[in-house]
Amino acid sequence: MENIIDLLTKFVSNTGFAMADYRYVIMIVIGMIFIYLGIAKQYEPLLLVPIGFGILVGNIPVFKGLGLGIYESNSVLHYLYFGVTAGVYPPLIFLGIGAMTDFSTMLARPLLMLLGAAAQMGIFLTFLGALALGFAPNEAGAIGIIGGADGPTAIFLTAKLAPNLIGPIAVAAYSYMALVPVIQPPIMKLLTSREERLIRMEEPRVVSKQEKIIFPVVGFLLCCFLAPAALPLLGMLFFGNLLKEAVVTERLAVAARSAIIDSVTILLGLTVGASTQADVFLKYDSVLIFVLGAAAFGVATASGVIFAKIMNLFLKAKINPLLGAAGVSAVPDSARVVQHVGQQEDPTNFLLMHAMAPNVSGVIGSAIGAGILWSFMADRM
Amino acid sequence: MTGLEAIAHHNGWAIAAVGISIVFTGLTVLSIIISQLHKVLTFWDERKTHYERLKDRWQKEELPDFALAQDIEESARQFRLLTDRLGEHFPLPKLLELAQKCGLAHPHSAMNDLLITKRIVPDGKGYFVWNK
Repeated sequence: MENIIDLLTKFVSNTGFAMADYRYVIMIVIGMIFIYLGIAKQYEPLLLVPIGFGILVGNIPVFKGLGLGIYESNSVLHYLYFGVTAGVYPPLIFLGIGAMTDFSTMLARPLLMLLGAAAQMGIFLTFLGALALGFAPNEAGAIGIIGGADGPTAIFLTAKLAPNLIGPIAVAAYSYMALVPVIQPPIMKLLTSREERLIRMEEPRVVSKQEKIIFPVVGFLLCCFLAPAALPLLGMLFFGNLLKEAVVTERLAVAARSAIIDSVTILLGLTVGASTQADVFLKYDSVLIFVLGAAAFGVATASGVIFAKIMNLFLKAKINPLLGAAGVSAVPDSARVVQHVGQQEDPTNFLLMHAMAPNVSGVIGSAIGAGILWSFMADRM
Repeated sequence: MTGLEAIAHHNGWAIAAVGISIVFTGLTVLSIIISQLHKVLTFWDERKTHYERLKDRWQKEELPDFALAQDIEESARQFRLLTDRLGEHFPLPKLLELAQKCGLAHPHSAMNDLLITKRIVPDGKGYFVWNK
């Protein structure tokens, strides 16, 4: 009888119910909120649902030593997490993004690319903010990249600069990306007048197939010669786009934009979510990262809008300054937000197509920004 | 270390300034290249037309030389008739005056052409002679 009681006691003490404390409960609630936002509110469901479920997976209290936790070197989750820590998944996601993205609007109106550059101010101002709050330079660089509003880029750079912060930075980046429809509109409205929001954009010119094919090659060479550290991300982005535009490689493009990106998104989301174990994630630093992340998105949005207004001082054909908000590279959500805010003033004003130009240039800009930070911080680690 | 002191200590201002400058430079250069790309491609597509046009222009440019040569010959013939009245050594102002009186076309430029092509040359004594 005693043996049975001992066994039962041991079993009960090894269950999650016995090992859990309030921190695990908090994280499980956060995971559920992610799943709720993804499914019910449809905020970035392809990301929030895997991450949310990953948070649940990572916060089941497990017996240490059994090889179950993501931070245990012999666990299955740890092997899957290798794709994150080694920076394998983000370039593969960029391959898929490249194979999905149509750069036509950017090629038709290259001037709008400057808005994508302006929005990257968010990265560097957040970097300064993180330094001011006492983070080490490499950690500050990783936190700053949240301002690029690009999840894969944030994960890639954090894996290189500050692997200990992957969980909070990835969750912050994806949370705020999902919350772009909530964060951006008040800033956009605050910084623009009604007249400015009513500005209509000129119809873009038709872009030839030749241009679309040449662009990924020229863009890749130029960007990677300028910032070689951006090679893994931009190389895959432009390669994916070349596969799409070349037509003769349509099968590869289809694989990149469906099977590959979907598989990697599942693995990335799940493992990033699982990396947020309560004992690792719930720290004061994580709170600071979330505060800085929110500031980063706000600064990036404001920088883009203000720069568009500055450009209007010199342009004959004015651009709608709302487009500046699309410079943050949350593709295509921030472009959709621009369309939505523009149509609140004038339902017949269609800005989505125009907003895609700064939006995709923001992807390039944030990858260049990540490359720059990586090269600056490499000798400080 | 926190605050502005931490930023300065880690060279943060310079990193941020250089970083954003590089991003701007990269995307600006890319946008300039893209803005010219369609023009380059259009030029390339129409290269045969452009070549034909250039070829035509070169041929046309050769014609004026021929025409000029013809004009000079005609001017020389007309001026020679005038200098017959003035003698073998003649002053240029007098020749010009005579050309104007006789109503020759563009006497100044025609005389200039004759001087440039060395059909009329100074005789070293303040007068001019036909170059034989």
